[in-house]
Order: sequence, then C-alpha cells, then structure tokens
Amino acid sequence: MMKMTKQEFLASSGIHVRTLDLWIEQEWLAPEQTPEGARFSDIDVARARFIRDLRDDIGANDEGIDVILHLLDQLHGLRRTLAELRDDMKSRQGD
Amino acid sequence: MKDPYDILGVQKTASAADIRSAYRKLAKKLHPDLNPGDKSAEEKFKEVSGAYDLLGDEDKRKRFDNGEIDASGAERPPQHFYREYASAAQGHPYADESGYADFMEGEDAFAELLRRAQHARANRRGQDMHYRLAIDFGESIAGATKRITLPTGGTLDVKIPPGLVDGQVIRLKGKGEPGAGSGGAGDALIEVEVTPDRRFAREGDDISLDLPVSLTEAVLGGRVRVPTPTGDVTMSVPKGSNTGTVLRLKGKGAPRKGGGRGDQFVKLKIVLPKGPDPELEAFVETWAKGKDFDPREAMR
Repeated sequence: MMKMTKQEFLASSGIHVRTLDLWIEQEWLAPEQTPEGARFSDIDVARARFIRDLRDDIGANDEGIDVILHLLDQLHGLRRTLAELRDDMKSRQGD
Repeated sequence: MKDPYDILGVQKTASAADIRSAYRKLAKKLHPDLNPGDKSAEEKFKEVSGAYDLLGDEDKRKRFDNGEIDASGAERPPQHFYREYASAAQGHPYADESGYADFMEGEDAFAELLRRAQHARANRRGQDMHYRLAIDFGESIAGATKRITLPTGGTLDVKIPPGLVDGQVIRLKGKGEPGAGSGGAGDALIEVEVTPDRRFAREGDDISLDLPVSLTEAVLGGRVRVPTPTGDVTMSVPKGSNTGTVLRLKGKGAPRKGGGRGDQFVKLKIVLPKGPDPELEAFVETWAKGKDFDPREAMR
C-alpha cells in the first residue's frame, strides 16, 4: 500500500492545508503518525473525499459531519462484524 | 442518454438554487458512502452527479441548452468510495465497535460469538505483501542478494537462491504487514522475474548455448573462450568439429536440487569471414573431396 506524505496528500486531494489540519484536529481524519510526520493511506484519501462531498454536495455543516462520521464508523464496525459472522458460519457449514 | 433535467427532476426553467437543492436532496439519498450496503447506489449517484456537473455550472448549462454540448461529457470518472476501504477485512483506524458493544456483554451464545470475533480481530495476522523483482539470467544461476525499496520507504534484502527459475516466489517470513496483538506479521512474497539472456537457453538444470567458431578452429581444433552465466571459461574445440557438434561443459549449468549441478551444452556453428576471399576460393577450387561430398545425401 502506497503511503503519502502530507504534501503529497494536499496536492492530490486539492484540500487546503488549514482545512486538513482542522479535520485532523477534529479526529475526522487519523493518518498514521511516524517519526517523519503524518502518512496517509488510500482510506484516508477516500475518507477526505467523502468529507468534502458531505460539505460541498450534501450541504452538511461541521456539526452534521461530526455526527454523520460517528454514526457511519459504527455502521461500518457493525457491517464488518456481520461479515465476519457470515464467513464464520460459511466455514462451519463447509466442515 | 437521459436528459440531465429529468435526472435531477427539475424544470428546464429551474433556477440555479432549485438545481442545487434538487441535487443535494438526491445526493443525500444516493451517495454511496451513505449507503454502504446498496450496490446500485454508485451507478445512480454517478448519473446524478454527472447531471449536476453539467447543470450546476452556469456556463456549461447555457451551452447544453443551446445544443452546443450533450450530456455525454458529463460522466464522472470512476472513483473509489470510502465504503470500499471501510468494510475491508484488515481493519483500519476508523473502525468503531461501540455500536454493538452492549450485545457483547452477557452469557448468551451470540455474545460469546461476538467476543470470539473481537478476539480474533484483535489478534489478526498481518497481511502478506506481494512484490515483484527482476534479476538477470546470470544472477538466477549464480544466486545473488538484491535490495528492493518498498512503497512505504523501507528496504528489504532478498537472497536469490542459485538456480532460481523465472516466476519463482520467494517467501520472507514476517516481512509483510505487522499483525495485531499476538497475530504476528504477514510474509513478504516476492515473485522473481528472470530477464532472458539472448545467448543462453535453460532446460531444467542444463543450459545450452550456440557458439560461433571459425573454420580454422573447427578444422584444426583449438582453445576458445566460452561465455557461461557465471563468467567466461576456456574450452577445447576438438579437431574436425562441425556445425551442430555439441560439447559439454560439465557442472556449468544450474545447481540441482539435492546437490551437484547441471551442464552447459555448447553447440558449435561454423562462421566464415564476411565477404569473398580469393585465397579461400582458390583452395576450395582445388579441393577434390569438397566437391564430391554431398551434405544432402540423407535428404533424398
């Protein structure tokens, strides 16, 4: 998996540096912290794009985005567990 | 091609604000990241956002209304939505289990199942990482140590065992992604591609090579230098050799499993000097046996 530096991330996403700092401060984005600085993965890029869609296309304000992300993270946690239980059941049936 | 006004469900006379509000309403409903379980959302959202790209831009909308452009240019390139990564099995920093934490408490079988899944997740083995590495033919026979630079910036030293074949995969235990908890790291799997060498062909553990020799060397015999994948060696060409004569360099092939090495087979090919040579012509003119000999006898 390719990891981007902050500069690369800003260049590829077109997000302003102050906006990015704010999103990280609000814990909307959690890039990996390394001794050489933050490193961004594909999931961070996709999540930033989603946050931008929420703001620009859907018209959610900061408070709304905060709530949406919190609920969405829980939804994905649930979906993942559900998928694991399904795979678990499948492998038991296969025995 | 559907009409972008129909897609957004607005009149041709709609104001910019109407169009924006219609788009927002649809985006809220259709954005794939707000519909993680709906496969069709992506297609529908693409259509709607494409229509908005056209009608949400005053200049583009004018040109569309005047028939200067059609809706075909409005399609957005495919993108990877957040949901693809968020539901991936390997885990990520945004995963949140608090949405069903209450279900994990208690003594029922379902809670037990959830706890077991959580434990497995917390101790998941790291992902295997796949890399490709190109080496030259000589290195595949002699073995080598190569350093590859990883996309993450680190490096990995790969020991190429002597005798490796094209496409072989080298597994470096524990050099993949780190695991969670007691899960241990995954492995690095390196697929090695051997760049062919025009001179050599490999068959199993043996190597073959076509070696040009002069007429003098073939007729009178002599010592010649022969390339092998591990460096040049000297070989005797016996007196009276011919095109097609195969000589064996013992132990100059690839290492065999369980000890020993294959051989290199050298196939001779007589090559005359370029251009006519009066001296050679004069000799062949007077060489009676050369005229009587029929090399195509066996073909009849």
